[in-house]
Amino acid sequence: MNVAVEGLVFRRGRRTVLAIPRLEFASGRVIALLGPNGSGKSTLLRLISGLERPAAGTISFDGAQIPPRERSQAIAFAFQDAVFVSGTVRENFDLALRLRRLPEAARAARIDEAAGACGIAVLLDRNAHQLSGGEAQRANLARALALRAPLTLLDEPLSGLDAAGRRQLLHALPGLLRQFTRTAIVVTHDREEAVRLADDLAVLVAGEVRASGPKASVLRHPPDPETAELLGFTVVESEGGLLAIAPGALRVGDGAAPFVMQVDAATEAGSRAEVSGWIGSAPVTVAVDGPAPTPGTTLAVSADARDVVRFGR
Amino acid sequence: MEQLWSGFVEALRLIANRDSELWDVTARTILVSGFATLLAMVIGVPVGYVLARGRFQGRTVVLGVVNTGMGLPPVVVGLFVWLMLVRSGPFGGFELIYTKRAMVIAQFLIAGPMVVGFTSAAVQALPEELPDLLAVLGAGRLRTLWILCREAHLGLLSAIMAGFGAVVSEVGASMTVGGNLQQSTRVLTTAIVTETGRGNNDRAIALGIILLVMAFLVNLLLTAVQQRTVRARGG
Repeated sequence: MNVAVEGLVFRRGRRTVLAIPRLEFASGRVIALLGPNGSGKSTLLRLISGLERPAAGTISFDGAQIPPRERSQAIAFAFQDAVFVSGTVRENFDLALRLRRLPEAARAARIDEAAGACGIAVLLDRNAHQLSGGEAQRANLARALALRAPLTLLDEPLSGLDAAGRRQLLHALPGLLRQFTRTAIVVTHDREEAVRLADDLAVLVAGEVRASGPKASVLRHPPDPETAELLGFTVVESEGGLLAIAPGALRVGDGAAPFVMQVDAATEAGSRAEVSGWIGSAPVTVAVDGPAPTPGTTLAVSADARDVVRFGR
Repeated sequence: MEQLWSGFVEALRLIANRDSELWDVTARTILVSGFATLLAMVIGVPVGYVLARGRFQGRTVVLGVVNTGMGLPPVVVGLFVWLMLVRSGPFGGFELIYTKRAMVIAQFLIAGPMVVGFTSAAVQALPEELPDLLAVLGAGRLRTLWILCREAHLGLLSAIMAGFGAVVSEVGASMTVGGNLQQSTRVLTTAIVTETGRGNNDRAIALGIILLVMAFLVNLLLTAVQQRTVRARGG
């Protein structure tokens, strides 16, 4: 399902929370909405789902404008905080599918399918209010996927998971989204999640879309320093402006874009050392072959020219 | 103590003898207070829901008024309803004064704020996102209200208990608007006042005991339902 946002304005009181002239979520893609807290990501999902009404603008689905109350049949939404009614996990899934008017015979199969795929089959007969945070988050995701909606909205689907659970779900989620939905919009404030999960990226800062498009393009061409930092770039002061160094691009030695790094600490790991320190006021980390430099000294580091983006003042 | 005991014996005698006036007054009490509580639920639950979930100007003031209403003196409510329904009052033409309907109206005004207040508190205690979840799943307004009431039913049962408890035990409003007419508007509380005034202390105590037992049985039933839910939730 293709979603097109045109001239969208959303206000809370007198404050403009979102102002988006145009943004398109292409059908058949997984799109990550990346932005810091309070940038309007979750609000945009609520507007798309029809839970909020915009002050101006339109949201169309495959070219048609669907009234908010009728959108629910086409959209699955997993909120950031998992919410359940009283009863077992299975009863909660069943209620969701009943509200979508799925016949009884099909519901049991759909529940087992989604729960199995998300690895929560053992939780189905547990009281939903007694799940741990991680279990509840997985059940929340599985319930949304069980709806097999053409458009699935996930608000921070990996929040509340422990490190192992997050790693596991981060690995499994792209496959699950391909299996259960056509188009998915995933809200996250974490660059790694966005890069791992999405085909396309849309970066929101202070209610404005700063960049959007295919992942590779957005990651390579941040339009401003704030977006660059969100995308994992290290932004450092330079003569006449700012330089953004792509994540993982820094290495020890000379190169097209040289920098001087103040060494803060070094951790040896076998024949290599992980050195952390500063370029100007920006924290950086590089890997060093051989003995680790002494904290307090400086280290010559550099990046390829194509990994550095220059912003004028 | 001796008088209390003789009252208890009298209560047993009245029940055993199937005293017609006793059953008449008891049935009328259940009817009037039950209907007033039911009316308070039907109107109070949706109002409580709107107050809990709605975001509109003056909401805090309305909640404050409701909370004040939860402690309204019944005799003041009775006086207000009497002024409205008395022949010279704005609704005098309906000829409701000194009828069971007038008593239901007065008791509804006593139980209503309680039901609204308890419902509002119970709905506000539910997860903030629950109505949104139901909306995105495609539940209509009535279905959403039904599911939320089911989720908040422990609080709603408390609302019924508080509302029924308040109206079944009040005397001021029923006396003022009902007139305590024998075989017409006399209920257990007003009957107790009458019997005490006549010096029939045994009969008054007997009626009091029956009122207490009746209130206890209703609350026991509701408490049993409430606790069954708590056990089912593993609480």
